[in-house]
Amino acid sequence: VPDAEIDFVSATSAEPILDRTTSQQSRSTYLWILLFLLPFLVLYLGFTLWPLVATAAYSTFDWDGIGALSRFVGLGNYLTIAADPTFWRSLSNTLIFALLNTAIKLPATLFLAVLLTRRWLWMKRFFRTIFFLPVIIPVSVAGLVFTYLLNPSNGALNAFLRASGLVHQPVDLLGHDGTAILVLALISVWQIFGQYLVYWMAALQMVPADLYDAAEIDGCGEWAKLIRITLPLILPIAVIIAMLAFINALYVFGLVVTLTSGGPGHATYVMSYFIYVEAFSQIPFRYGYASAAALLYGLLALVFIASQAHLVRRTGENRRAYAE
Amino acid sequence: MRANLIAVLVLSGIGFLWTYPFLWMVSAAFKTQLGVFSGGAGLIPQPLELGNFARAWKSAGFSVLLFNTVFYATASATIEVIKSSTCGYVLARYEFPGRRLLYWLVVATLFVPLATVLLPQFLLVERLGLLNTRAGVVLGQSSGAGALYVLLFVHFFRRIPQDLFDSANLDGASFPRTFLLMLPLARPVIAVVVIFQFLQSWNDFNVPLVYTIGQPSLQNLAVGMFAFQGAHANDWSGFAAATLMSLLPVLAVFLAFQGYFVGGLAGAVKE
Repeated sequence: VPDAEIDFVSATSAEPILDRTTSQQSRSTYLWILLFLLPFLVLYLGFTLWPLVATAAYSTFDWDGIGALSRFVGLGNYLTIAADPTFWRSLSNTLIFALLNTAIKLPATLFLAVLLTRRWLWMKRFFRTIFFLPVIIPVSVAGLVFTYLLNPSNGALNAFLRASGLVHQPVDLLGHDGTAILVLALISVWQIFGQYLVYWMAALQMVPADLYDAAEIDGCGEWAKLIRITLPLILPIAVIIAMLAFINALYVFGLVVTLTSGGPGHATYVMSYFIYVEAFSQIPFRYGYASAAALLYGLLALVFIASQAHLVRRTGENRRAYAE
Repeated sequence: MRANLIAVLVLSGIGFLWTYPFLWMVSAAFKTQLGVFSGGAGLIPQPLELGNFARAWKSAGFSVLLFNTVFYATASATIEVIKSSTCGYVLARYEFPGRRLLYWLVVATLFVPLATVLLPQFLLVERLGLLNTRAGVVLGQSSGAGALYVLLFVHFFRRIPQDLFDSANLDGASFPRTFLLMLPLARPVIAVVVIFQFLQSWNDFNVPLVYTIGQPSLQNLAVGMFAFQGAHANDWSGFAAATLMSLLPVLAVFLAFQGYFVGGLAGAVKE
């Protein structure tokens, strides 16, 4: 869920500039600085930096987690991965899922956020609550509920379709290679919807109300206001929200475990699930192999993030140039 | 007026579909097991069954799961606020050797996928002897989005006017005292961190799944409910009752702080 924060641009666009020269800091000040950094540093070293190094190191060993790291295989694990169809399927599934999920949830949540922030609309609070609601359901529980609703024998969907005469044979949406990943993406949209709704609503609050008033005097309708005022003004934040949306979709895990266990076949294997299965859920554990996959996955995420961060920064610069 | 009617009608229709899984769960919690099985898409429990709640409470070890979930969410949110506010404060206002390096490391590791670092984290927790303990889960959960929270605090503390610090210095405020004076100003950031981390932990499936495999009594709701369903595959009415009970507390929290949630985010954006 939390994914992250809207104010990503300004938080990362420049490193902090100190207002004063602080060269004559006393010894006790340095001690306090160290003390203040300590809680973060300890956890950061133990749970982020060291694990990154360790993952890289493990990936060059053939290791089942029992005993010492002794069978060095160099790039052997990577060569095995390159020839592993399940890995490639997981990779393409992850990208397909992330693209589908993002392409559906972003426009839908933006549209609804715009609608739910119109001054004229009735029952705004009620609808906001309704559409936010699924966020509070743990992902795994959402997955279980949908396995029941969608199950082909007596789930609600099939009961409805049959009662209305739309189908005669039960439909098994999660049991088909072609539809499973799409259904997964849609359920994920349902679950995460409220979070992006809130992001957009926060972004929309930044648009000064008097701009709309002026536009109304000029006779602009809702559509014109959206295209000419709202969208250009929230663009820098929109790019960040899009980035967060895509990155978070790349990390999908819980829904896959509870809805499909990667199936049918490998139709919904995604990267995090592939790594989890290799490392934790099949015996013998393949820690070395899982680590190689984990590192490749991290690099993939990094490439996407770096390219999108570049886009974020450029949008910010364009906007600044435009403002001047 | 006409636009309003159309919008409200369309929204109500979609809203009904949207909440259908909820409504189904609520109704299933009051159905008999047979009623769930034969009930199809219907939402009216027929016949009405009230024993599901007691059964779920007992057989899911539900009170323990609920306690664990609240404990993990509260503890990891507290840890995140402490470690990211102190670190962000120092990074934003003080010069020290390695400051630039630390700042850029934090930025570079903003979005490391959990799956990339989970195995070494797991081995570290195991070596510390904390596997299958609550402390282990809290540690595992308090490392994920930490970098992001630090940047939020850096950004906030950087924008506090220098005058405030100067006057605190003139009053002879010590280093920790100055920090405690500034911290309340960061309320919007603290709110965002708490809400994000609380929800993150509440929904977390991966860390508790891996860290508590040997100890069902330490699982949170997300993992425990999954295990409950695995063990009682046919008891959907019990599952629905358990789910409903697990959602009520967080629903109450959400309804109470709903305004704060949007407000806090919007505040952070405006800053």
